[in-house]
Amino acid sequence: MLLAVDQVKEAWWLYLMGLGVALFIISGSLYFAFSAYKKSKELGMDRAMIKRTVISSITFSILPSIGIFIGVITMAGLLGIPLPWIRLSVIGALHYELMAASVAAEGITLMTLTTQDFVTIAFVMTISILWGPIFALIFFKKYQTKVIDRATTSKQGGFGKVLFDAFFIGLILAFFGDAFSKIFQYSVRIVENGVYLVDSLGEPIYQDLKTIVPVIVFFVAFLANAGFEFLSKKFKWRWLENFQLALSMIIAMVVAVLFGLGGIY
Amino acid sequence: MNRTYNDLMHRMGRIFTMIGLIILLGIPVLISLFSGVAPNYSMMLQGILALSILYLPGGIVEVTTYSPVLGTSATYLAFITGNLANLKIPCVLNARTLAKTEIGTEANEVISTLAVAFSSITTIVIMAIGVLLLAPLRPILTNEVLAPAFNWVVPALFGALGYQYFKKNPKIILAPLVFIVILAIVSPSFIQRNLPIVIVLSAIVAVLWAKLLHGKNYI
Repeated sequence: MLLAVDQVKEAWWLYLMGLGVALFIISGSLYFAFSAYKKSKELGMDRAMIKRTVISSITFSILPSIGIFIGVITMAGLLGIPLPWIRLSVIGALHYELMAASVAAEGITLMTLTTQDFVTIAFVMTISILWGPIFALIFFKKYQTKVIDRATTSKQGGFGKVLFDAFFIGLILAFFGDAFSKIFQYSVRIVENGVYLVDSLGEPIYQDLKTIVPVIVFFVAFLANAGFEFLSKKFKWRWLENFQLALSMIIAMVVAVLFGLGGIY
Repeated sequence: MNRTYNDLMHRMGRIFTMIGLIILLGIPVLISLFSGVAPNYSMMLQGILALSILYLPGGIVEVTTYSPVLGTSATYLAFITGNLANLKIPCVLNARTLAKTEIGTEANEVISTLAVAFSSITTIVIMAIGVLLLAPLRPILTNEVLAPAFNWVVPALFGALGYQYFKKNPKIILAPLVFIVILAIVSPSFIQRNLPIVIVLSAIVAVLWAKLLHGKNYI
């Protein structure tokens, strides 16, 4: 029996698949977390430190996860709820999924979407992003043995420890660069009903913008974290360590909202 | 690292990845079967080819760049659950700063696994709550007043994290900062469209600069 697209994109069985994916990720995560916990006992690691790691990782992940969920709402206009829910619960990202939708069904709109477009989009979104896990599956073990273990255990005159800190600083600064570059220019592809808008020639419609807000947000979060660290040290509030990153992010995001209320986006 | 534990984690990680790939690939197949409609094969192949040209090199770069930071179990977990650069990696960096562990050690493997596992669970739970409570949540989350907060959640995350790493190594910041600021001024669109490449370039500049400083005993 052939189903109409409106029946497919909100079908109960698609929600059931979403639930299955969620349960699979939770089961896998719990298995690896439990194995790591057992290992921590074997290594005699401090229980309080393990607890801090778990609490801090959860609090840290809440706001970005809400941001990821907003992606589901953005895509829902075209594709319904369950498919974007599934796609953004696993490897993928909003800009990637939107690009996949527009490549798989060129010039698609809510009015013209067919069941075949929906199925094609689901295939393209799923397959094109699997390269990372496939490489991890095939090459990671060999790469770890041949390259990583040697790099981390070789005697580099004490540079090994600095190497990774330098790497992380480079990574963080790349994101600072992304925020800083938006002072000069950035383009946004216009999304309507969960799909990129195109002009009459089928070309994507961009909106050119500039903003200072992301750099301000970066610095506010930076300074807020410095402030929280000062407080936790001065008053010996060790509990604050678990939340200081999440709280710093909230303060920075509130500042972004205040700028928005003042007409600066 | 203890081979037995590490080997077991590789084995379980590979099994997890294989099951994950089968589940992920099974979803479009099942949609096609349940709906009774086959995909448009020509569009599908074109789409996969076009996107793979973009994302295949990204997959290689991400595995080689992020796996040393993540460790064994967390690599397999993070490459199925996704959101690496914008969530899992910063989460691991935060956790290892709190726990003060060194990369390549078993303690670091434990900490990064716990960080990625609980971060993944948090995302899944929030997504599930969001789907269940979509009707009341949609007007709040799509409210224009709140939009800037979630538009800029990534700079907020890296600003907060930046403090933890910059304060420990202030001397290492100079060269990569100059590099990234010049690149941002000269070609803002290059940074925005090629962020995974910019991450690698910025990391290379930082590592070379650190090596130079280390060689001259400045750090």
